Amino acid sequence: MQETRVHFQEELAQLESQALGGLDLVVEALNRVMEALEHQDVELATMVIADDDRIDGRYLEVHQGILSLLARQAPVATDLRLVAALLDVVKHMERMGDQCVNIAKMLPVAGNEPPVEEEILKRLLKMGRQAAFQVAQAKQAFASRDVALAEDLVIQDDVIDRLNREIFREVLDCSGDADTREWSLLMMLVARSIERIGDNAVDIGEQTAFVVTGLFREFQDASHPDLNSE
Amino acid sequence: MTYERAKDAEQEAGTVPTPFPRSQQPRTESSATRTSAYGAARPSGTLARNVSVRGLNAWYGDNHAVKNLNFEIEPNKATALIGPSGSGKSTVIRCINRMHEEIPGARADGEVLLDEVNVYDPKIDVVAIRRLVGMVFQKPNPFPTMSIFDNVAAGLRLTGTKGVGLRERVEKSLRAAGLWEEVKDRLKEPGISLSGGQQQRLCIARTIAIEPEVILMDEPASALDPLSTLRIEELVDELKARYTIVIVTHNMQQAARVADSTAFLLDGELIEHAPTEKMFTNPDDERTERYVTGKFG
Repeated sequence: MQETRVHFQEELAQLESQALGGLDLVVEALNRVMEALEHQDVELATMVIADDDRIDGRYLEVHQGILSLLARQAPVATDLRLVAALLDVVKHMERMGDQCVNIAKMLPVAGNEPPVEEEILKRLLKMGRQAAFQVAQAKQAFASRDVALAEDLVIQDDVIDRLNREIFREVLDCSGDADTREWSLLMMLVARSIERIGDNAVDIGEQTAFVVTGLFREFQDASHPDLNSE
Repeated sequence: MTYERAKDAEQEAGTVPTPFPRSQQPRTESSATRTSAYGAARPSGTLARNVSVRGLNAWYGDNHAVKNLNFEIEPNKATALIGPSGSGKSTVIRCINRMHEEIPGARADGEVLLDEVNVYDPKIDVVAIRRLVGMVFQKPNPFPTMSIFDNVAAGLRLTGTKGVGLRERVEKSLRAAGLWEEVKDRLKEPGISLSGGQQQRLCIARTIAIEPEVILMDEPASALDPLSTLRIEELVDELKARYTIVIVTHNMQQAARVADSTAFLLDGELIEHAPTEKMFTNPDDERTERYVTGKFG
């Protein structure tokens, strides 16, 4: 049998590599913004905000490439599913970049020398590391079409969800002065942003399963939590 | 040509040939609901029959072109046959109206059932089968010496339709083929004076004029420009409300656009037959996947 459409396949592989490469940019932004958080480094946070243009640019690049591919090559079957999934992946990538920006914008609001609750900060940094790990795992699962690895993201995401609940409890119990309480509330928003990044990683995992099986299913159904244990 | 054959048969038998015993005539035009050949009432206006292919084999001399094919073609649906050249697509549809055996050295066995009538039953009148199963070919083939009107009327005249009735049927057929508005003022001009796309719609009008129950289309748009192709595709969508449509196409996007279900043939074997959406998003068979994605040619 003769291999055909080689150019098309190369182009599709290139788009996938660009989209997944975008996830590396997200991991980079996330690591930087967590470092900025740890050291109250407002300059570094500003850099994260500026660098989000790279992630947005990558989104536009892949999106445009996919539209062009759809128009010229009319992909079908696995190719079509991959193209549809890539559109989703880049959207999640772009959202995760925005969440990093949201976190970065909190830091100047908190001030250069905010009253830090060590326990909250420790948990946030742990959440950030876990989220970066999940984004990398989502990338690896997609690239290797590994459904089991993709499904494992749900278990990984439980770690983030648990830390998020713990931070919420600590903020609620915070008995410090007004500045400390204000900082704590801002950190709850940071936790919320990291939690969303974890969810986006799970969503990319769902796209992996879709490419492989042809069936889309939510790994976790937030609106029907009872069904998740089935 | 079908009509010439029908004419010969008519002269021989002195009547319009039918594959069915007179008591089981497939249509009774006067009643509100028509009665099928088997007594079951069908809604008025639809002529479509289920086509059931069972254990079909076809040969060209020693070449076994179609191998033990089994599949169902649903009424009022468009079914596309796709596959590489030489996969047996055209042979399959030519077996449905027994055109295959017209080729010297060609033969077929197995069953092709129109509802429950086996077109390979030795007692069946082949010409009448071809009247029930109309065919549209790759290259438009209007009768070259006939006017637009006569091209459509030719088959009807054989059935004894005349005068006002004839004119009404011609107009109805041309309208159904989406050609009436373009030709109503030039019905006396030769059929071959029309453009390629118009000629193909004229051939479709000619086919539906005699009210077949199944329409076979063998690459009906492959010789047409893109706009004419889209018109034919829209027409297929309209015609399936009334007929069973089987379309052979090399153009996979065309199959994706027009067909409700798609069957993939390879080397004379049916590899997969499924709803078109499934065939083009998530086919079961690896060979279908490789063919529709263009990974082998």
